[in-house]
Amino acid sequence: MTRTPRAVSFTGAAKTFGDVCAVDGVTLEIERGETVALLGRNGAGKSTAISLLLGLNAPDAGTVELFGAPPEQAVRAGLVGAMLQEARAVPRLTVRELVAFVAGRYPDPLPLARVLDLAGITELAARRVDRLSGGQTQRVRFAVALAGNPSLLVLDEPTAALDVEARRAFWDSMRAYARGGRTVLFSTHYLEEADAYADRILVLDRGRIVADGTGEELRHAAGGSLVAFDLAGRGTAGLELLPGVRSVEVRGDRARLRTDDSDATVIALAGLGAIRGLQVAPASLDEAFLALTGAPHERETV
Amino acid sequence: MRDMWDYLRLEVRRTLRDTGFVIGGIAMPVMMYLLFTNIGDSNDADWRTASMVGMAAYGAVGSALNTGGGVAEDRALGWLRQLRVTPITPRRVVAGRALTGSVTVLPAICVVLLAGGLVNGVRLEVWQWALTALLLWLGSIPFTLLGLGNGYGLTAQTAGVANMVCNLGLAVLGGLWFPVALFPHWLRSVSAYTPTNRFAQLGVSVTQGHAPAASAILVLSVWLPAFGSYAVLSYRRNAGTV
Repeated sequence: MTRTPRAVSFTGAAKTFGDVCAVDGVTLEIERGETVALLGRNGAGKSTAISLLLGLNAPDAGTVELFGAPPEQAVRAGLVGAMLQEARAVPRLTVRELVAFVAGRYPDPLPLARVLDLAGITELAARRVDRLSGGQTQRVRFAVALAGNPSLLVLDEPTAALDVEARRAFWDSMRAYARGGRTVLFSTHYLEEADAYADRILVLDRGRIVADGTGEELRHAAGGSLVAFDLAGRGTAGLELLPGVRSVEVRGDRARLRTDDSDATVIALAGLGAIRGLQVAPASLDEAFLALTGAPHERETV
Repeated sequence: MRDMWDYLRLEVRRTLRDTGFVIGGIAMPVMMYLLFTNIGDSNDADWRTASMVGMAAYGAVGSALNTGGGVAEDRALGWLRQLRVTPITPRRVVAGRALTGSVTVLPAICVVLLAGGLVNGVRLEVWQWALTALLLWLGSIPFTLLGLGNGYGLTAQTAGVANMVCNLGLAVLGGLWFPVALFPHWLRSVSAYTPTNRFAQLGVSVTQGHAPAASAILVLSVWLPAFGSYAVLSYRRNAGTV
């Protein structure tokens, strides 16, 4: 029995530019129909991983396959649509001309009206692409990516130039497209987006996959919960030895314990009488991400 | 093949909507032609005809090089990269671009020849008009290749400068603006080796009713593969980065 090949498959893929190892031995598989987020800070290797995936760059080591074939072949067969991060508007064309041209390259494109509707640019069809706002251009680029009705849709930081409202509209469109059993891979450095819109999150850091799972699994992997209480003058000695505790952090007069088993930790704290101002909270995805990537706390404002 | 024709149509449309191209590639040559042949004591029928061919050639060279400028611009925009993630093959993209060049040289050639016939009263046999236009069209191919070489090999800004230098330098040196007869002797001998000089000579010989000189064919047949190789090398060197 032959197995249907996976949509995306990286095996030990590596790519070095000069002396920077942008992608450092990545192995991953994406099943058909999955919506996967590639999450990482700027410079984590997301765009390079996407270039390898699209066949824009060849890996120095390892292999990359789309639908069981080399990426170029899958691209030529019309299985792939992509929204590239650095692409700007193509001047002196109307939205309709551009989208229709790209759609016409694919064997089984979506009807033009459907593409324009999905991307929310129906009323912009006759406008010139180079005379649109940043957000509108972004939507045109999305239309270009999905015009060919590709089985695999790849979006490199698709919401980078969008405001909150436009973001929500964008993700609604993406979901509507993914619903038809298509595979979607998008890269982002917004945790909330990865958590809200992907079935699965791949965390990329310094060219390596450091975590792979649902948002829930990542939170758990990073150290389930946070237990905090007022020290009220007592020392912190021995806290790290309490059941479940992974790490201890002191902020002002409060101790913050990261724990795998908050119940056991709380009971032990109660035994010590250290329960003033006790709080138990699940670790946020932010904290999970920081724990996974070991990065200093510098959140981007959405 | 449909890929390539659609791409050709798309790029021709983009070029013709480029105000810079319409002014620099079409309006300028015809205005210069009318100016250079109607100022002072220039009531010379031979000069009107020779300058017509020279300015048509100048317009064709500018338009051909402009194709390369478009390539450099598209590389910078990421448009060629976007095309690489659609099913159209890179080979068809390059072929479509080269063909774009051979279409967009036509307006300059036609408009200058029309100005010659309708405004400046140049009189030629029908076959001479047709053959002059045809030779100017075919003769522009090496310049399209030169432009593509610049477009694939250089950054957008550098390619723009390189194209302008090539365009003006080769036009003046090749005698497209002023008759070579006005040049000092040493410059005249340099001019004889330029592709532009021999390019214009193709057309001029037809307007004079005789076949192009063998030396013109010879010089052009050296430039054609030279510019062709330059285009191929530039493309190969940067194929991975477009």
